[in-house]
Amino acid sequence: MLRYFIKRLMFLVPVLLGVSVLIFSIVHLAPGDPAEVMLGPSATQEEISNLREQLGLTKPLYVQYGIFLTNTLKGDLGRSIKSNAPVVEEILDRFPATLTLAVLGMIFAIVVGLPLGILAALRQNTWVDALCSFFALVGFSIPNFWVGLMLMLLLSIYIPILPSSGFDSWRNFIMPTIVLGIQTMAVIARMTRSSMLEVIRQDYVRTARAKGISDRLVLVRHILGNVMIPVVTIAGLYFGNMLGGVVITETIFSIPGLGRLIVDAIRAQDYPVVQGGVLFFALCVGIVNLMVDLLYAALDPRIKAQYRAAR
Amino acid sequence: MKKFKAFAVITILALAFCLPASAAELRLAQVADVSSLDTQKVSDVYSANVIRQIYSNLVQVDENMEIVPDLAEGWDNPDDVTWVFHLRKGVKFHNGEPFTAADVKYTFERLLDPKTASPGATHLKEVESMEAVDDHTLKIVTKRPFAPMLMSLTRYETAILNQKAVEAAGADYGSKAAVGTGPFKFESWSRGDKVVLVRNDEYFGGPAGVEKLVYRGIPEDATRLVELESGGIDLIPGNFPYQEFANIEKDDRYETYRVPAMSTLYMGLNTEVKPFGDVRVRKAMNYAVDKQAIIDAVYFGLGAPARGPLSPVIWGFDPERKPSYPYDPNKARELLKEAGFADGFDMTIYSDNRTERRSAAELIQAYLAEVGIRAQIELMEWSALLSTSAKGIGGAFMLGWTGTGDADGGLTPVYHSANIGSSNRFRYKSETIDALIEKGMATLDLDARRKVYAEAQEACNEECPLVFMISQELVGASSKKVQGFKLYPNMISPVHKVTLSN
Repeated sequence: MLRYFIKRLMFLVPVLLGVSVLIFSIVHLAPGDPAEVMLGPSATQEEISNLREQLGLTKPLYVQYGIFLTNTLKGDLGRSIKSNAPVVEEILDRFPATLTLAVLGMIFAIVVGLPLGILAALRQNTWVDALCSFFALVGFSIPNFWVGLMLMLLLSIYIPILPSSGFDSWRNFIMPTIVLGIQTMAVIARMTRSSMLEVIRQDYVRTARAKGISDRLVLVRHILGNVMIPVVTIAGLYFGNMLGGVVITETIFSIPGLGRLIVDAIRAQDYPVVQGGVLFFALCVGIVNLMVDLLYAALDPRIKAQYRAAR
Repeated sequence: MKKFKAFAVITILALAFCLPASAAELRLAQVADVSSLDTQKVSDVYSANVIRQIYSNLVQVDENMEIVPDLAEGWDNPDDVTWVFHLRKGVKFHNGEPFTAADVKYTFERLLDPKTASPGATHLKEVESMEAVDDHTLKIVTKRPFAPMLMSLTRYETAILNQKAVEAAGADYGSKAAVGTGPFKFESWSRGDKVVLVRNDEYFGGPAGVEKLVYRGIPEDATRLVELESGGIDLIPGNFPYQEFANIEKDDRYETYRVPAMSTLYMGLNTEVKPFGDVRVRKAMNYAVDKQAIIDAVYFGLGAPARGPLSPVIWGFDPERKPSYPYDPNKARELLKEAGFADGFDMTIYSDNRTERRSAAELIQAYLAEVGIRAQIELMEWSALLSTSAKGIGGAFMLGWTGTGDADGGLTPVYHSANIGSSNRFRYKSETIDALIEKGMATLDLDARRKVYAEAQEACNEECPLVFMISQELVGASSKKVQGFKLYPNMISPVHKVTLSN
């Protein structure tokens, strides 16, 4: 198990290397440059070239990449062009908000999506099923910025019980959590329902029932464990998605997270922040995927057995 | 039960924390959070607004953009290139250090040091030498007579720093520390979210009307509005979404603010691209576009047709000026015919992605089509538009110009031929315009200087290497309890006189 874990961790290295090459080239090959954005339309050619020199943008690209890579390995992602603060500091400053939001969003998605799916499957082809499916479909289809604005209108203006933006208390997180989680919630609900329907018809469930075990116990002991496997896969995949999609939520609710940091940096052509931020995101998604794989093993004894056999 | 009690206590505490702020706290929302509070490292108006509350300058502008004393009580010019500033006595920085001429010298030297790589260094580039004559007298000598000096000294980039504070904070200056002599002291900055300032009771202009300022960055227009409506913020100082302004102006729960902006929107023409080298063609294009219609359609009526190259709130604007070229498609057709383009020609308009700019470009396209000019629109990233147009773009380009508040800053970068290749994006050389701009820069007598600029504006208008478009308007809004707020045309509004009523 540990060997497997280390092996998977090693796989992250080429992935991150690839991401670094990709993001470095995209950022540097895109038109425009940070010196011009910073100095604005009134800058003279001389001022622009001075600043380019200061920022180290006049060196050949491969040299710049080399410097970037060596510094990154040392844990130094450079300084933001816009704010002059160390990129690592900026990322660590912003990451807690994003992580909190993503975790809360995922909890919301699971806590609402899972029961919804189970309920729909247990009451298959009744109005309950239809309602749950409709709810899931709507949740998946409506764009989340719209949900955000509607919630804001409802809960901050018509019934003013929640603050519409900011980052001061737990109440600030309620609306963003819903907005961020709603799509994943819908996917989880659909996934749970179909997975349930499959498992319910399995021989071992019928056997358990035939033994006279109560419905509730069959559900908890024999069905749920098996239902969880595809659900965990989806949740893992969507967690990465959520980290990426957090930008919209952060923007609508003015939450100072990593997504907004990167988008602002892209606008200002703040190379170091874009590179560092994207690399950090890639690392997070990689780690989440790894954790999902490990979770499988915990949930499914068959997979654990495979690791053992491999040893 | 125990758990429930704990939960209840936590809930009540949490609720208590998010109760509306005390009356002495003014909460403002801008489009973005500050990027730094190091005056010499920033180039955005959002940082400038916060900087304005923390720091003082030698001189400042009032709400009419006239120069008023700040840290300098007075100044005189022994000759054309020498400026002697008499500094206020007994002023203290927020860290307790006394303010002296040495601080001014340090500040300006830091700004000019290439190592600082300040985007604002350009404002002092005419400075030859500086000398702290005594603790309260500073002498500045310029390389040549430089009349825009005072306006340069009102810029946020030239706000006065304290050497000890800057050196003590090192690279963290501007993010963890910011020390000035202004009405508010820096308290904290949570990056991407908000800056908190507290009142400086020893401010030489008298203590401010509120105890605390909270500047928040809220990028979404809709969110900013909802926050104002729900009472989460008190004031949106500028950058109020245009499309919502008409509604809020009618709503008596809010106070609204309108003021002409320093910025003008124009469509520049690269005069090296055919047929923009022909002044008749350029004039025809100016006559062909109905500016008022674009203001009404795109800017919700907030703005006025440009009256030449400068906005009416720029120092040196000639108040006698009429709107540049009235809408007259017949005259446009005549001029085109005269220039040999009776059947029109093909051209490209470059613009960035902003909805308003793009819509304006589309309307211009339609108006040009009326007189036979076939324009196509090409969209570019903002930074790409800036750099491509500086090097010479393949047609016309949508751009705005803000300048420094002085006629020199509104004309020299854009029209002087020395700036071809950078900010003179028309790539247009006129000896008349060059000479007038240089004369304006060197004339220290204010009345004579105004006259020179009146001529310069007329020359730019006549030779029109651009299509004059719109003098924009700034709009802001606040809740009714905000009293005494004035929106400044440069979008940098001091708030130390603002009070809050219940």
